[in-house]
Amino acid sequence: MKSLAYSVLLFVSLSSSCWAQISTADQLDQQGLAATCANCHGTNGKGVPNASIPLISQLSSEELLAQLLAYKSGTRSGTLMPQLTKGYTDAQLESIANQLGQKP
Amino acid sequence: MNNSRRHFLAHSAAGLSLLGGFSSFAQASLGKAQILVIGGGFGGATAAKYLRLFSNNTANVILIEPNASFLSCPMSNFVVAGMRTMADITSPYEGLTKHHGIKLIRDSVSAIDPDKKTVKLSSGSVLSYDKVVLSPGISLMMNSIEGLAKANQAGVTLQAWKAGPETLMLYKQLAAMRDGGVFAISIPEAPYRCPPGPYERASLVANYLKQHKPKSKVLILDANQDITSKGALFKKAWAEQYSGLIEYFPSHNVAGVDAKTKTLRFEVQDDVRADVLNVLPAMSAGEIAIKTGLANANGRWVNVDFLNFEATAAKDIHVLGDAIQTAPLMPKSGHMANQHAKVAAAAIIAQLNDWPINPAPVVNNTCYSFVNEHAAVHVASVHQYDAQAKTFKSVPGAGGLSSESSNTEASYAWGWAHNIWADTLA
Repeated sequence: MKSLAYSVLLFVSLSSSCWAQISTADQLDQQGLAATCANCHGTNGKGVPNASIPLISQLSSEELLAQLLAYKSGTRSGTLMPQLTKGYTDAQLESIANQLGQKP
Repeated sequence: MNNSRRHFLAHSAAGLSLLGGFSSFAQASLGKAQILVIGGGFGGATAAKYLRLFSNNTANVILIEPNASFLSCPMSNFVVAGMRTMADITSPYEGLTKHHGIKLIRDSVSAIDPDKKTVKLSSGSVLSYDKVVLSPGISLMMNSIEGLAKANQAGVTLQAWKAGPETLMLYKQLAAMRDGGVFAISIPEAPYRCPPGPYERASLVANYLKQHKPKSKVLILDANQDITSKGALFKKAWAEQYSGLIEYFPSHNVAGVDAKTKTLRFEVQDDVRADVLNVLPAMSAGEIAIKTGLANANGRWVNVDFLNFEATAAKDIHVLGDAIQTAPLMPKSGHMANQHAKVAAAAIIAQLNDWPINPAPVVNNTCYSFVNEHAAVHVASVHQYDAQAKTFKSVPGAGGLSSESSNTEASYAWGWAHNIWADTLA
């Protein structure tokens, strides 16, 4: 019984960790910016599995930023991403990577 | 008026006398505010969900929507062409209630009173609000074409532009058509919902006819001078895949419909007769926006403040999606409505927290169109807010089109659909 309660608690805390608490205007702005990716990559970067669009939620913030910048500079090819990343500033891409990437 | 200014006025003696005639002038705090979201399409459903997410699930959000389920316009052309079922483009609203604590009222809105800050439902109930998010979609101006309202009511012509019963009816008419018959789609002058949608529909219908009734024809009767989106990509696909099957006629503005003879009359050119008529009239903001006096752009579309999507005609009513007078190069698409919703939701939460609103929002658009069952093309754009011009401007050098149609794009298109449906509703 004790272990069941523990698993439920663990599940709840894991679920809530999917969405960071917002307690400042700056955090809200950053979540809003990252949410512009969610149409294709899923809410908070957690896309629908097997939907053919690459899942990004397992990447670290550093890996994510490196890929976004590679798309933007043209060193990585793709269909949409090279076109979309060019519309964001480097600082915006960094903010997005920090929001959606796994923290170490 | 910015937030701090409003706050000051509301709490000062000068403010009280200045605003003495208003029934409500102070902004309700986040926990106490009642937010009504009207319309559960891509704009409204996303706004409801993100109002909850951005407020750490503390905002009181009620979604008012007459339909039992969400019906997606994107991918509905597959149903028209008999390649998918209505179930494939239908999603439940349950995710919003179960996962996000949004109260859902299944009803439509008959009136909004911006002065009393109340919303009247068709059932007769009246709800008060602190904030309204209005995502009313489009209204089809049936009276802009002589005889169309009657012809559409009788099912002689169909629109099938709002996904729903007509989507399936159009397929049934197509399935019942003789081999050698004519399917005609007419397109109004831009702006209208989903710029490339009619050309995708023509392509998928041609794909169906090529397989099942190869002697038939698809006529595209476009009021515009040329294809309004992805023109070169569509023209290439039609020349390569549907030569002799699709015929494109620019500058053909439908003036009237003769339901008895299934004939379209034009402003200039000769009449066109068809077996299946898919007539798309000019469009405007959804009826409730017009009725509330919000459509102050040519009486058709709603002007908004792009920082928070508040209607310029009424305080505390935020309008999203296809109903607005868009920023330059900002298409009327489901993807865009979802993006508007997030900007509006963040701004509303900031306002209710008494925080500054994000002064530099950004939105993007991605839009896939199928040229046949297995190949698609895309167009994409990114729009950054320009504080001086007070509008979104598309970033030069960003965005663009597919180099060619491909199966990879088709697979991404379905991936996009499943992800945006989930981001909007799950």
